[in-house]
Amino acid sequence: MALPDIYTEGIASGWKVIDAARLTAPQTLEADVAIVGSGAGGGVAAETLALAGLKVLLLEEGALRTSDSFRDMDEARAFRELYQEAGGRATSDGAIAVMQGRSVGGTTTINWTSSFRTPEPTLKHWAEAWEVQGHGVEEMKPWFEQMERRLDVTLWEAHNANNSVLMRGCKALGWEVHAIPRNVRGCWNSGYCGLGCPVNAKQSMLVSTIPEALRHGATLVHRLRVRQLQHAGGRITGAVGEALREDGRTPSGTLVTLKARHFIAAGGAINTPALLLRSQLPDPHERLGRRTLIHPVVLTLAQMPERVDPFFGAPQSTASDHFQWKDGATGPMGYKLEVPPIFPGIGAAVLNTFGDDLKREMSALAHTNAVLALLRDGFVDASPGGRVRVADDGSPLLDYELSAYVWDGVRRAYLSMAELQFAAGARRVRAAHVDAVYHDRWADAKEAIARLPLRKFRASIFTAHLMGGCGMSQNPKRGVVDSRGRHHQIANLSVMDGSVFPTSIGANPQLSIYALTAQNATALARELRG
Amino acid sequence: MKPEPMRPSEAEALPRRDFLKVGLGFSLALTVAGTLPGCSGGAKTPVAGYAFLQPSDVELFSALAPAVAPELGAFDAARRKVALDALLRNVDGSCAALDLGSRNEVRKLLDLLAIGPLRYALTGVGAWNGAGVDKMQAFLARWRGSRFATLNAGGNVLVKLTASSFYLLPQSWPSTGYPGPLEYVFRAVN
Repeated sequence: MALPDIYTEGIASGWKVIDAARLTAPQTLEADVAIVGSGAGGGVAAETLALAGLKVLLLEEGALRTSDSFRDMDEARAFRELYQEAGGRATSDGAIAVMQGRSVGGTTTINWTSSFRTPEPTLKHWAEAWEVQGHGVEEMKPWFEQMERRLDVTLWEAHNANNSVLMRGCKALGWEVHAIPRNVRGCWNSGYCGLGCPVNAKQSMLVSTIPEALRHGATLVHRLRVRQLQHAGGRITGAVGEALREDGRTPSGTLVTLKARHFIAAGGAINTPALLLRSQLPDPHERLGRRTLIHPVVLTLAQMPERVDPFFGAPQSTASDHFQWKDGATGPMGYKLEVPPIFPGIGAAVLNTFGDDLKREMSALAHTNAVLALLRDGFVDASPGGRVRVADDGSPLLDYELSAYVWDGVRRAYLSMAELQFAAGARRVRAAHVDAVYHDRWADAKEAIARLPLRKFRASIFTAHLMGGCGMSQNPKRGVVDSRGRHHQIANLSVMDGSVFPTSIGANPQLSIYALTAQNATALARELRG
Repeated sequence: MKPEPMRPSEAEALPRRDFLKVGLGFSLALTVAGTLPGCSGGAKTPVAGYAFLQPSDVELFSALAPAVAPELGAFDAARRKVALDALLRNVDGSCAALDLGSRNEVRKLLDLLAIGPLRYALTGVGAWNGAGVDKMQAFLARWRGSRFATLNAGGNVLVKLTASSFYLLPQSWPSTGYPGPLEYVFRAVN
């Protein structure tokens, strides 16, 4: 029994969906608002503006991939079709792996559904340190509630064995631990969120806001790379899109001219700054592409006596903030502890061993639990984040250096994670680090972690959360956009994605993007209709 | 085996001058290579049917595959051929999908390893074809144990690319405990 495919039915009923790979002649498309990027920001903006009666054009560089193509539940296909650079995206020096989505729905199509409100200390810090207005705790509350209702965000308490390790370890140690709210409706508990939900249960933009925008007359164009925004006299006058071939990468040579009253950049914190840089928009205070925050992720690996099947069941449902705010927002680096799912392909990359070591570790995969720490970057001067640049062909490059402040956080995180895995009954634990070996006892692991050399290419570092680069601030000297996402120098350009965050969030950012975008897009809709 | 820091005897076996230059970056080493007599950077076009990998790259990854994933070596000849071919296609697809910055870095690394004398100096392997598993593993351990971040980076890329490309294959799953797509869901949607 195949489930009905939302898009097959929708397109048959008259949705306007254009695959740019099929265009053979130049086109001009016009709308009230053109949105570049269809992830968390673009999806919510498209729905909000279309429901307000505005004519919306939603532009996506990736392809439209729907539940019909997720039915194989295959990791290789998912990387190839749903991830930036087929899963191989990394910082410019190759030291940090970047997991980011690239298809209609953006990263929401492949994320693990964790839906946290922006932590209160983060919102307070933005107001105090970054001159952000209108996004205080009380002001954001109705927007979080609205998006939680919209996307069926509910607490998930049926933890799989993998997530139970974190819960058990924290409880044994008396550490704070909580269940994670997830954006799912009728979840089958399969664990395949990261490969494209095969049953359309995850309320990603792909199945929620984008279909609703299409029902209200929006046009979706996919496999279209917006090369440049053209500007004159402080306004965007139009944009040029390059149609891509079937491979989703190579321009076919067909150009699409885009006209709109208002433009919204929503390509995420790597592609949005790159688009604005390519467009050579004014940047008098050199803020564009600066302060890219990534929640650097480090992990420890444990072999458990019981099977944990880290590939099956809701992938992420427990977390600990025990080490997140204990020194306030601006003390030594805080971190949130969570559990990732592990499929064989990504698992091999995380293990980063070879020969008999790799064989042994892979043969224990069903008993392997990883705990990860999301390090909260961007809250102090010693953690200024990275920088987005563009390569000769206009593609993005991300530089990110790790300061002594960050490395201190990495070492403390390794210690916390190893301690909790042993407390949960792990047989042996090691850090995801080239020089780390397994230890059978917490005391030995503790001593070994204290001595691990902390350098790039020795510690395995990942990021799945891209933030900043077009930071918001009421002060044009400190941000690219104001608190409503409006560009400080360009009148009819807004940014609505994770790149407006002045710091990292301190939790998985999807709900922060949804709520902030709902709030700012609602204000924009009022303005455009006014 | 765990990568160990290079032992002094191994370090001395390598031409120190080239090694130091590589430590400063692959591009510099390539410049050096270009001035060496008899060096050529190999073919400049991908193997037919591939998007990225050139003939010397295919030789490299074919030699790396059983060194990184010993399970592959245990397959019988027919299965090994099928799995290796699929692995190489995964490597090829992964490299071809990279944006310009990373694609150029990988290209530089592979070009460097395609130059005979430099390859021998840097890896201790004369030719990929016929290089044994032990020799390939020694090369990986040496690079990853090196004090030069550039060699660490190169070693990590080769290991991760090869390992992931193998474990993405259904043929590898029986050795991992991953039974394949969760059955009740897979059945329901197919």
